[in-house]
Amino acid sequence: MLRYVLKRLVSLVISLAVASLVIFLAIEVVPGDPAAYMLGMNAQPDTLAALREQLGLNGTIPERYLSWVAGMLQGDFGTSYTYRTPVAEMIGERLWISLPLALYALTLSTLIAFPAGVWAASRRGSAVDMGVMGVTQLGVAIPNFWFAMLMVLVFAINLRWFSAGGFAGWEQGFFAGMKSLTLPAIALALPQASILTRVMRSSLLDTLSEDFIRTARAKGLTRRQVLWRHALRNAMIPVLTIIGMQFSFLMAGAIIIENVFFLPGLGRLVFQSISARDLIVVESVVMLLVFAVIVVNFAVDVAYAAVDPRLRGRR
Amino acid sequence: MSLLRIEGLNLAIHDYGILHDVALTVEPGQIVGVIGESGSGKSMTALAVMQLLPEAARATGRVVLDGQDVLQLSEADLCRMRGRVMGMVFQEPMTALNPIQTIGDQVAETILVHERVTKAEARDRARQALARVELPEDRFPLTRYPHELSGGQRQRVVIAMAIALRPRLLIADEPTTALDVTTQAQILTLLKRLVQEDGMGLLMISHDLAVVADMADHLVIMRHGRVVESGPSPDLFHRMQHPYSKALLAASTHQPDRAAQPQDMPLLQVRGVIRDYATARKGIWGKPGSFRAVNDVSFQIRRGESLGLVGESGCGKSTLTRAILGLEEVQAGQILLDGQPVFTGHRPNRAVRRRMQVVFQDPYGSFNPRHRVARLVSEPFHLLDTPPQGAARDAAIAAALESVGLSADDRHKYIHEFSGGQRQRIAIARALIIKPDLIILDEAVSALDVSIRAQILDLLADLGDRLGLTYLFISHDLSVVRQVTDRVLVMQAGRIVEQGETADVFANPQHPYTRQLLAATPRLPDFENT
Repeated sequence: MLRYVLKRLVSLVISLAVASLVIFLAIEVVPGDPAAYMLGMNAQPDTLAALREQLGLNGTIPERYLSWVAGMLQGDFGTSYTYRTPVAEMIGERLWISLPLALYALTLSTLIAFPAGVWAASRRGSAVDMGVMGVTQLGVAIPNFWFAMLMVLVFAINLRWFSAGGFAGWEQGFFAGMKSLTLPAIALALPQASILTRVMRSSLLDTLSEDFIRTARAKGLTRRQVLWRHALRNAMIPVLTIIGMQFSFLMAGAIIIENVFFLPGLGRLVFQSISARDLIVVESVVMLLVFAVIVVNFAVDVAYAAVDPRLRGRR
Repeated sequence: MSLLRIEGLNLAIHDYGILHDVALTVEPGQIVGVIGESGSGKSMTALAVMQLLPEAARATGRVVLDGQDVLQLSEADLCRMRGRVMGMVFQEPMTALNPIQTIGDQVAETILVHERVTKAEARDRARQALARVELPEDRFPLTRYPHELSGGQRQRVVIAMAIALRPRLLIADEPTTALDVTTQAQILTLLKRLVQEDGMGLLMISHDLAVVADMADHLVIMRHGRVVESGPSPDLFHRMQHPYSKALLAASTHQPDRAAQPQDMPLLQVRGVIRDYATARKGIWGKPGSFRAVNDVSFQIRRGESLGLVGESGCGKSTLTRAILGLEEVQAGQILLDGQPVFTGHRPNRAVRRRMQVVFQDPYGSFNPRHRVARLVSEPFHLLDTPPQGAARDAAIAAALESVGLSADDRHKYIHEFSGGQRQRIAIARALIIKPDLIILDEAVSALDVSIRAQILDLLADLGDRLGLTYLFISHDLSVVRQVTDRVLVMQAGRIVEQGETADVFANPQHPYTRQLLAATPRLPDFENT
């Protein structure tokens, strides 16, 4: 097990190194002169030179890459050109919204999908199964920003249970913060829960038709015991894969929902800095998101091994 | 009172009749063999006793086990009986165990489900059950996972689960079909021993007459969901009345007529072939290891000869096949067809490649289900420099199909429209279409029912005579090899340990491994005198 985790860790470090190189090349090298790009066509030569100096564009490409990586390792992501504040600080603030939002949405989606998927699979072909499948079909089909606006209309404008947007701030207390994240989290969780329910159901049905389920029944286990003791854990592998992918998506892909609810999250930060051509911010946020995806994949790999002894290697 | 008495059992799935008026009895301590080909309803009879039938199945009649009619019991009562009064062992040991639970937990579960005992006590009894099936704890700790065991060892774990509570009745559905012949013999001995020790009844289901004939006290022959004949064994073999029983027995020992005489000229020469595989790296920076699958193998096949290659799974048979076909390069040695190498300069030699074809075991998996038969059969044309087009191509397809006893019109069909035996005919047609000299039959009849197998063996013998074909017949089934080959090679752990005229090798085996294989092969009672 330990050896397996170490192996995955080595591949995590290699992935991060490759990803950072690709991001660096794509943003700083391929477009030509980043300073000229950021300042636009009518830039004065002396402003351009000053920006180059500030961005550290005067070194060779390997020097610039290494100093960028070294800076990040020490927590120094540079200073935003448009906001004139350290990027690390900006990301830190935004992360305190995006990360809880992603976790909140993922928790909701898992809490809905597990029981719904198990319920549907255990009553295959029944009205329950067809009902769950119909609802999840809708859940996948409905655009989540539209659903978000609908919820704002009902719960914020008519019922006044939630505010229509913005973030209260964690200094108002945990519940106030969570309350402002509730509608966005539901909007994000809806399609995710639908997909996860369907994956859970079909994976469980596949497992229930395996030979070892019949063996377990021949030992005298009831249908219910077979489902909980033998099928569920075996059915988890595809479900874990999807959960991992969903978390990565929720971290990076909440741009639209953050915009609908005016949440100052990472998605909005990327969106704004791309519009403002603030390459320093873009580069750092993209790197951070890639980092999150790779770490989540690592966690999923470790979870696989926890579930499946075949991956732990021979003793 | 009989332990199990089945009377007038009818079973239908969605109004489609599967079993018709099935009757049989099992006494305590008795082994009853149920024999039949696929679709005969033998497995459904077993599942009806366990009441583990498919959802849509409806059974009527009486299945009285230990005084209770299981057809009348509630699901809760049935759960109390399964594992405690009746246990079952299935065909596929590789998939019959939960891959993510230890064998100890899985055996202990049988006990925990039925009795109020502590986990420690259940484990203790699981340990005893595993010891009874010859998996002692010092060599097979309870913490092993199924993937750390071989097929035969896994089947022992399944048996341990089934007998942990010493049930009155054990049902074994083709328990050894997926296993090698020596492993099969060990498992059959184990089952016999358990029956004797516990005095339980054993309902043993098999398609293989010889396997059951060896051990059963009583035989039941089934066909199309009906019992056609039953009686005590081995007397039944001498007193068989029903034409189907006789046909089944005849097919099991069928000997095709082969007129062709091998010529003296060698067609295929294999000289000192070595094939190594890289194995997993040891550690992240370690070097990959290597495994020698074929070790210094030399032999030749004469033109028109039928050569058998026997050995257990993992002995290197399939690796050798791939090397001969030029699918993989060998590390040392030479493979020549008519003096031409199959591999030249790291590339397969097309001129040689088109002169040999292969027929595989699985009639279901070896065809693309989305292609029509015409396209499937004409696949080998890609080996030709100028494949026939238009009418010539159609004629070649029709000729190939007709030569294997199918009609030219079958070309428009898809593969799922054919039975297993017909599919194997199509596989042979595919091999024949480019008129090869050598056909490699890699377990080509192993998945077929005995009567179909007899037909396919006749077809191969007939084609061999008419077209002057040379066969390399690879099988783990020694009785078939004995019937259809001139010479035989015995392979063990990558080496050829014995070779010679088939009749000589079978009558007078020299190598201990060959003797072991022959001793383990189940035989029909009539066979022993001839």
